[in-house]
Amino acid sequence: MYDVPFRLFAIENIIIPALIMLGAALLLGFLIVIVSNLFKVPGNEKKDALMDALPGANCGGCGFPGCEGYADYLLTPGADTSLCSVGGAECAREIAAILGTEAVEPEKKIVVLRCQGTSEHTSPRYEYLGTQSCHAAHNLLGGPGSCTYGCLGFGDCVAVCAFDALKIKDGIVHVNREKCTACGQCVKACPKGLLKLLPAAATVAVRCSNEWPGAQTRKFCNIGCIGCRRCVKECPVEAISMKGSLAVIDQAKCIHCDACVAVCPTKAIARFS
Amino acid sequence: MKMITFILSIDIQGLMIILFSAILVDNFVLSKFLGICPFLGVSKNLKTAMGMSAAVIAIMLLASAITWPIQNFLLNPMGIGFLQTLVFILVIASLVQMVETIMKKTLPPLYKALGIYLPLITTNCAVLGVTILNITKDFSFGKAMTNSLGAGLGFALALFLFSGVRMRIEKADVPKALRGLPITLIAASLVSVSFFAFKGLIENIFG
Repeated sequence: MYDVPFRLFAIENIIIPALIMLGAALLLGFLIVIVSNLFKVPGNEKKDALMDALPGANCGGCGFPGCEGYADYLLTPGADTSLCSVGGAECAREIAAILGTEAVEPEKKIVVLRCQGTSEHTSPRYEYLGTQSCHAAHNLLGGPGSCTYGCLGFGDCVAVCAFDALKIKDGIVHVNREKCTACGQCVKACPKGLLKLLPAAATVAVRCSNEWPGAQTRKFCNIGCIGCRRCVKECPVEAISMKGSLAVIDQAKCIHCDACVAVCPTKAIARFS
Repeated sequence: MKMITFILSIDIQGLMIILFSAILVDNFVLSKFLGICPFLGVSKNLKTAMGMSAAVIAIMLLASAITWPIQNFLLNPMGIGFLQTLVFILVIASLVQMVETIMKKTLPPLYKALGIYLPLITTNCAVLGVTILNITKDFSFGKAMTNSLGAGLGFALALFLFSGVRMRIEKADVPKALRGLPITLIAASLVSVSFFAFKGLIENIFG
């Protein structure tokens, strides 16, 4: 290379750069250590304990971004410890013990599909060949079902369920009560808003979302609510009211007597298993 | 343009050319194909894309501001300019680490918004590319900073456009063999080709 002996060449071009790199690396290493010590954020053991107590599913059901978001909220005074429906009562108790507050039992909830329009009760009005997604189908004139309020059965809700509690059977969604943790993600996923969170004590619901007048409803689905108001009259505690031509049960007032189930001509009001 | 240049005695025209060519013509992601990894990883929705771009712009500016003096006042005078790549990588990585630590303590809300993207940018080749290009093109400090700003803004533009494209692809009916990464790459290449349209822009507007 150059007209110098190899020893000099080695020192100039290999050893010195190597030493310089070593020096630079050490210097930067020191800098990083110094900076990280100067700017240390005190570790929070309470937050770590909370993160351990929470189920870690990051489902967002509590309304916060993931379990870490809920843990941050719990560290603020007066936080509601019962928002995690996945962790349930046990988790709420653990959280309360960590925070030193009284445990508040989260209200147990369940999810119900307000539609019973399987293939034996209703039929499609056009053949849908598009993207097999509820949102996509719903954008096309409300979907291929002849009742545009009804469940399309493409499974957008099944896809978001982190607990494998939803399944499509006969064209509508079935909820597995054991697996369902009422986190609420499916409720947000349904473009027609058919899934509803009800208190766990509920046994009866109006399994229909159709607000059309009775004659029109009966044309397209034989299990839909026709707005005949017999349930309203029959209910001993006046828990049922009408929203247009659709009956709505106030679950807080319901005494589970099943009187409405007996009188409903189309079986739109039903017990759910 | 010439009047402003005369008054401020800064070469505004030169700076504008550098800025706009870094954003449009020589876009770092779409023309130079640097920084593809975060480009594909973070462009899934608009919010994360904006967060990532902000972090990249900040780091590019900071990295250029620190590596340019290191090259011109430390490495070159000592005759070890060839150590550029190694030293730059070391410096950029340490810099990003320190920025993350400082931000975590002093600006927690900012850390919550951008902090998670910082490890992604630590040895991003787009950031390293900007710093090395500043030296290769023999820019003055001002031109180097403008180039970095342009590179960051170009990255932001590419991410912004592509996140829109990706949101549309989500809802489209893609053939089974192309679903996921293949169609994303094809879409990215089409966006890249569309930027060819800017080729004659710089000479004709600022020339």
